[in-house]
Amino acid sequence: MASLLSVEEVAASFGKLRALDGVTLSVEEESVTLLIGPNGSGKTTLVNVITGFQKPDGGHIYYGGKEITRWSPQRVYRAGIARTFQVPSLFSKLTTIQNLLVADKAHPGESFLKSHLRRLWVKHEKERVEKASKILQTLGLTEQSDKPASVLSGGQMKLTELGRALMSDAKLYLLDEPISGVNPTLALEIFARIVSLRKQFGVTFFIIEHRLDIALRYVDYVNVMASGKLVAAGTPTQIVSDPKVIEAYLAR
Amino acid sequence: MTLDQVILFTVDLLALFSIYLIINLGLNLQQGVTGIPNFGLVLAVAGGAYITASLSTRLAIYLLNVHTNLDPIVNNVSVLQLVNPILRSSPSLSIGLLALFLVIGGASGALMGLVSSAPAVRLREDYLAITLLAFGEILNVVGTGYDPLIGGPPGTSLPDIFGWAGQYRFYWATLIMLLVAVMIFVYMERLVRTPFGRVLKAIRDNENTARSLGKDITRYRMSAILIGSILCGIAGALWALYSGAVTPSYDRFDYTFLPWLMILLGGMGSNIGTAVGTLVFVTLDELIDYFKYSFAPFLPFNVVWLNYLLLGLLTIIILIYRPEGIIREKWASVPAAPPPSPTGEAKPG
Amino acid sequence: MMALGVTLLYRTTKVANFAHASLVTSGAYVAYSVVVVLHPNPYVGAPLAFALVGGLGLLLFYGVLEPMRRRHSPTVMLMVATLAFDIVLFGVLNIIADDLASTYLVPSRNILMSASDFTFMGQPGIFFVAVGILSLCSVVLYILLSFTTLGIALRASMENSSLAQAIGVNVTLMLAISWFAAGGLAGVSGALLPMWTQVNPNTGTVLLASMFCASIVGGLDEIYGAVLGGFLLGFVDVVGTSVLASSIGAWIAFYEPAVPLVVLCATLILAPRGLAGFLARRRK
Repeated sequence: MASLLSVEEVAASFGKLRALDGVTLSVEEESVTLLIGPNGSGKTTLVNVITGFQKPDGGHIYYGGKEITRWSPQRVYRAGIARTFQVPSLFSKLTTIQNLLVADKAHPGESFLKSHLRRLWVKHEKERVEKASKILQTLGLTEQSDKPASVLSGGQMKLTELGRALMSDAKLYLLDEPISGVNPTLALEIFARIVSLRKQFGVTFFIIEHRLDIALRYVDYVNVMASGKLVAAGTPTQIVSDPKVIEAYLAR
Repeated sequence: MTLDQVILFTVDLLALFSIYLIINLGLNLQQGVTGIPNFGLVLAVAGGAYITASLSTRLAIYLLNVHTNLDPIVNNVSVLQLVNPILRSSPSLSIGLLALFLVIGGASGALMGLVSSAPAVRLREDYLAITLLAFGEILNVVGTGYDPLIGGPPGTSLPDIFGWAGQYRFYWATLIMLLVAVMIFVYMERLVRTPFGRVLKAIRDNENTARSLGKDITRYRMSAILIGSILCGIAGALWALYSGAVTPSYDRFDYTFLPWLMILLGGMGSNIGTAVGTLVFVTLDELIDYFKYSFAPFLPFNVVWLNYLLLGLLTIIILIYRPEGIIREKWASVPAAPPPSPTGEAKPG
Repeated sequence: MMALGVTLLYRTTKVANFAHASLVTSGAYVAYSVVVVLHPNPYVGAPLAFALVGGLGLLLFYGVLEPMRRRHSPTVMLMVATLAFDIVLFGVLNIIADDLASTYLVPSRNILMSASDFTFMGQPGIFFVAVGILSLCSVVLYILLSFTTLGIALRASMENSSLAQAIGVNVTLMLAISWFAAGGLAGVSGALLPMWTQVNPNTGTVLLASMFCASIVGGLDEIYGAVLGGFLLGFVDVVGTSVLASSIGAWIAFYEPAVPLVVLCATLILAPRGLAGFLARRRK
């Protein structure tokens, strides 16, 4: 299968600290790929660089064959890559469902001029609301649908964040610890849903997670990072018995 | 108080209310909905008032085919003596001109809005607020110094477009202003409930996230400022026409500070809150005005300053104890209602 | 000559912005101190003005801003609060002005005290006093902020208040000091103002825009920016106006108040962080 996203020798630093030290990896199309590694290994930085929130010092990033190395976050988003944040960044005064509805690349109702004629956007809006409601249902957030995001619990916020990403019709989803703070039953359900989404829509997931007990069951490939470099890559079974991986985690 | 006095009081109040409602809705859109601290509202209001005033007599002469060699601004009284009788005899002509002037007012507001939006693109919060405040001051300078605009310090009069109503002038004028205000209110309510309004709120809550979702922040902010300024311009023009004359005295207290106070009082973000705040405030203000002289014997100082003291203190109290205002922003829900979940209908607020 | 004179004016009304929210009320303080100064020798009133107006600054802080800070009010609200305080102060000043007029039978509006000034080398004394005080204040501030423990603590709380608090710096006290000092400076500026031009309870409001322009032009980040800004503004104002007036026509003098605003616009476009920011970047 073709690789949808490939990262080549990407380097990035914060001042003197070298967060990414020549990382090369690729993500297969329609796969669920995991990225793990001890804290500080550069996982979030890598996602930041891929999505344009941080500019790399060197290296290249290719998506669907095109180079996207220094694209801005908006451009990356419009190209079909969606991401979630470790710390949920929701719109606190909007309701849960509104938070999902804002994630729309081209909603005619959002243009000032067009918003005057309801006819132009009512149908689109209905479709989005339906989709959003279904996603909220899967995530178990239906009751919070009309409540402002500020009253949600930490775990619920993460879920909403995930829901928002799912609204975006993206082809590649970069999820940064999507189930941290979520109870195990729901977490399993979410991962199951992720996998079925992959099948249904042919989308690709690249996930950063720590909870290996849950994640490893559902993923196709695993990448392991430590100290800004990639130290191992392979299927879950391979990784679990790879001595380098164990060392990376213990050394921290 | 006699019935006549009560009626007069109410009409007065409603007139003031209408004007301020329009301004405040404009401010609410900028600050309450989009999070842009516009401390320079006076720019748009005065802009609407001065430019409309400046053009009004000139346009009146032109459109009504009045021939005169007199300068419409400098000799405005004499010129208007030629113009007003024509207006008084024809309500439809007057209303037509009114509509035209309102459009001009709105356009002037838009122009001022463009000026205000320039710094808004680059600056945030404090810097922006200070800059807009400074901008607001400029128009009075121009108004005072540039005679052809509105005749310098003495100002100029406007055509009497409510003259056709004779002795009921003020009643009709107030009614029309109220109508305009209500129409604008309805418009704003609908605007806020569109996906466009939703994006504005998102920008207010978390600009960076909105940006990462592909929203063109600059365009949205500019739109908000433009719309708000247009509203202020219309209000300015209306007030000028209602008062019949304009002097370069539209100051920061009346048109920047007070609107902030009103939307704070009522609750920022929600249009109904804005309306309530405006009503409560205008009523209080008028009451103070009407009754302050009866307090005079009890107070050791000249009652003229009472407004400033009371209003300033009121603001501070509100800010400390109830910054959300009377009406909290209710989450305006999404209109459509799909089967599984109770998404809800549009709630008031 | 004139240029230097008016530069003074702007320098005396500079606002040193070291508290977070802007001091919108300095203008009111200015007029206030003027009223205080009315009686004895004009210059004597200055220190008194410093203390009293500094006190007002504290009042603003403890009475209004502190409670709001504790409730985590957004910055914008704090600014509105200062605006409200300004309004109240305006009312109070007017009352005092009225009172002075009726009790002491002296004119209390449009006060001008230049007549009682001394001359030195052909220039009004204010010239030297203002420059002197400005230099003194700047030097004192600089030394204070750079070399004393207090100064460092102040800067720490400005930069990162939660961190400073963790180290044991009493952030609230630091802020209070800032407000007092800012108020004091405003008071002194105000005390000196009537030496140069007429003063009213309204004067502050009118000058407010110029004050902010001076601050922003100079750069809100560094203290010396305010001095630079004041200088530049004053200079451009007088020189610019007279140059334009002689070439285009005297009517342009009416637009003099707009000058600071024009400079402000230019600055925002060319150097958004003000002169100080501009210079800082050059240094890198």
